[in-house]
Amino acid sequence: MSSNEEQFFWTGLTPDAARKALVNKDKSKRDKRSSLKDAVNRFIKDGDNVAIGGFVDNRQPVAATFEMIRHGFKDLTLSYQSGGMAIDYLAGAMALRPDHFSIKRMEFAYWAHESFGLSPIFRYIAENGMVELEDWSNYNMSARFKAGAMGLTFIPCRSPLGSDILKKCRAKVMDCPFTGRPIILLPASYPNVAIIHVQTADMFGNCVINGTDATCQEIAMAADYTIVTCERIVPHRVITRRPKEIGIPFFAVDAVVHVPFGAYPTNCRRYYYFNKEHIATFHALGTRLRKGDPKGLAAYYDDYIFGAKGFEDFIDHFPVRKLLEEYQSEMQNFERMV
Amino acid sequence: MLVTSIEYTSQEMIVVAGARILEDNKVVFVGTGLPMIATVLAIRHRAHGIIPVFEAGAVGPPLEGGLPFSVGDSRTASRASFVRGLNAAFEMTQRGFCDYGFVGGAEIDPYGNLNSTMMGKFPEEYQKPKARLPGSGGASDMASSCERTILIMPHERRRFNEKINYVTSPGYLDGSPGARERAGLLGQGPHRVITTKAVLGFDDETRRMKILHTYAGETVESIQESTGFELLVDPDVSPFDPPTIEELTLIREEIDPLGFFVKKPVKEKVLPNQF
Repeated sequence: MSSNEEQFFWTGLTPDAARKALVNKDKSKRDKRSSLKDAVNRFIKDGDNVAIGGFVDNRQPVAATFEMIRHGFKDLTLSYQSGGMAIDYLAGAMALRPDHFSIKRMEFAYWAHESFGLSPIFRYIAENGMVELEDWSNYNMSARFKAGAMGLTFIPCRSPLGSDILKKCRAKVMDCPFTGRPIILLPASYPNVAIIHVQTADMFGNCVINGTDATCQEIAMAADYTIVTCERIVPHRVITRRPKEIGIPFFAVDAVVHVPFGAYPTNCRRYYYFNKEHIATFHALGTRLRKGDPKGLAAYYDDYIFGAKGFEDFIDHFPVRKLLEEYQSEMQNFERMV
Repeated sequence: MLVTSIEYTSQEMIVVAGARILEDNKVVFVGTGLPMIATVLAIRHRAHGIIPVFEAGAVGPPLEGGLPFSVGDSRTASRASFVRGLNAAFEMTQRGFCDYGFVGGAEIDPYGNLNSTMMGKFPEEYQKPKARLPGSGGASDMASSCERTILIMPHERRRFNEKINYVTSPGYLDGSPGARERAGLLGQGPHRVITTKAVLGFDDETRRMKILHTYAGETVESIQESTGFELLVDPDVSPFDPPTIEELTLIREEIDPLGFFVKKPVKEKVLPNQF
C-alpha cells in the first residue's frame, strides 16, 4: 500500500488490497451453490462495506438482507446508488435492535421509493443522526463502482459540479490536465461484499440480468466477494447458449443461492411486479416508528424476519392469489412471454 | 370515468403544462414522478417522436403498458430500443445525447438550483438534518449534463426561496455570467419551470426566474404572492390555456385510470417524491 492510499479514507478495500485479494483468490469454475445462511455467514463480517444491487424498488436483494438481519452485524457501511426496500429492511433492523444489527455509514445517492413515497425509516435514522451519511449522485456512485470494476483508483466525472454534494463527500475537483477546465475525480469503490439478486444463474455464478442492469455488473466486479441470489438456476450449457447475455461472469461470483421471489416485494422483471400494498404497509409501520411507536414495526420483524427460518417463511405469508397477481402484472409488462 | 366538465386539479394542470412544453423529436431524460406522467401524456397526445431515456438504463420505450412506478421498473424496459444500466444512461447524457432533462425537487431558488437532499443548516446540520429528503438520485446529473432542463414543482411559497437549504441539482448557480461554464458544467441549464400556477423561464442576463405564462385563475400578483423571492415578469406574459377535454380524458381514462399518480391533491404531499 502506498502512503497516499493510507492518507485517503478508503471505506472498503484499498485499490491495492482489492487487486491483491483477487490475485490470490481461487477463480476456478466450480460449483458455488450455497444456502443463503452459509453465504452470509461465510462472506460478510462486522465492519464490512456492503454494496447493494438493484435500483430503488427494482431487483433489490431482499432475501439476502433478511438473512443478514437474522445473522446480525455491527458497524456496516452500505454502498448503493438508489436504494429502496433492501435499505429500509436493514436500517429498520438497526432502529429496532441496535445491539444486534448496526449500520455505521452509508455512501449513496438516493433512498426513497419514487411513486411509493419517501422512506420514513430514512427520515428517522437521519433526523436522529444515527448513521454517517455521504451523499453522491447516481452517476457518481455508479462510476465509483465502475472504477472499482476497472481496477482504477479514481474516475473522472462531469457532474454534479457546482453542487453542495461535492462539499461533503470525498470527491476532488481539479482542473483537467488536458483542457484546464474543472473536472470531478471520484474515488473508486471496492466494497468488501456485494449482494445482488438476478433472474438467472448457473452453478458457477454466470448471471443473466433482465431489464435494467442497474450497476450490478460493476458492483460484482468491484467487490471482494459477491453473493448472488437468483430466481432460477439453469444448467451451464443453457446459460452459455447466448454468451453475450451473461451480465456477470462466474469468476466475479462467490456464492450462488437459489431464492425464488428473492427480491419480493420489489419488482423483478419477468417474474413479478411490485407488491405495492405490502410496500405501503411497511412504510406505514415505518411512519409509526418515526413518530415514536416502534411496536408495529417490531411485530413485523418478529413475524416476517426474526421468526422466520428462511425466506420461504416470508413468502408463505402471501396468498398464492397475491403472488399470482404480481406475476400476471409482470407478464403484461413482458410481452415476449405471450 | 367520463369527462363531462373541464374541472381539473392543479396536478392535472401541471402535468398538462409539462407535456405541452416538451418538444417533439427530442431526447428527454425523464425523472421519476410528475415528469414521467407529463412525458407519457406528451407522447400519447401530440409529440409521438419524443425519445424518453430513463436513468436505470432504458432508451426509447413506447410506455404503452401503463405508467411506470419507478424509472427502473419493467415498464421502462418493455420494447425499449436499448437497455443497459445507470452508467450507460449517464454516459450518454455526459456525451450529449440528451436534449432535455425533466426533473423535480423539494425546494428551488431564483436561479433554478434545486434541493432534494435536506432541510436544515448546511453543512452544520448535514449529519442530523431537520428533515431528510431522498437525495440526488440522478437529478443532479441530469441538471448538470442534459443540454437543457425543465423543472417541475408544486408552487408553494415555502418551496420557492431566495436561498435554498442545499444545492443538490445545479441550475444557474449564483446567476453570474458564465457561472455554469466556470464550474465546468456541460449543459446550458434550466429552460423552464413548470408549476401548479405558472410556466416560468429565466432572464437571459440576470438568470433569475421570470413569469412567462399564468394559468387560469392566477395573476402575476397571485403567483408572486406564492413565491418566496421576487419574480421577474416577461413583458409578453400571457395566459396558459387550461387542460383540454382531450388531455384530461387521456390522463383520466388511459394514462392513470386508477388515479394513483395524478389524483392526489398536491397539498397532501408534505415532501414531494417526484424526483
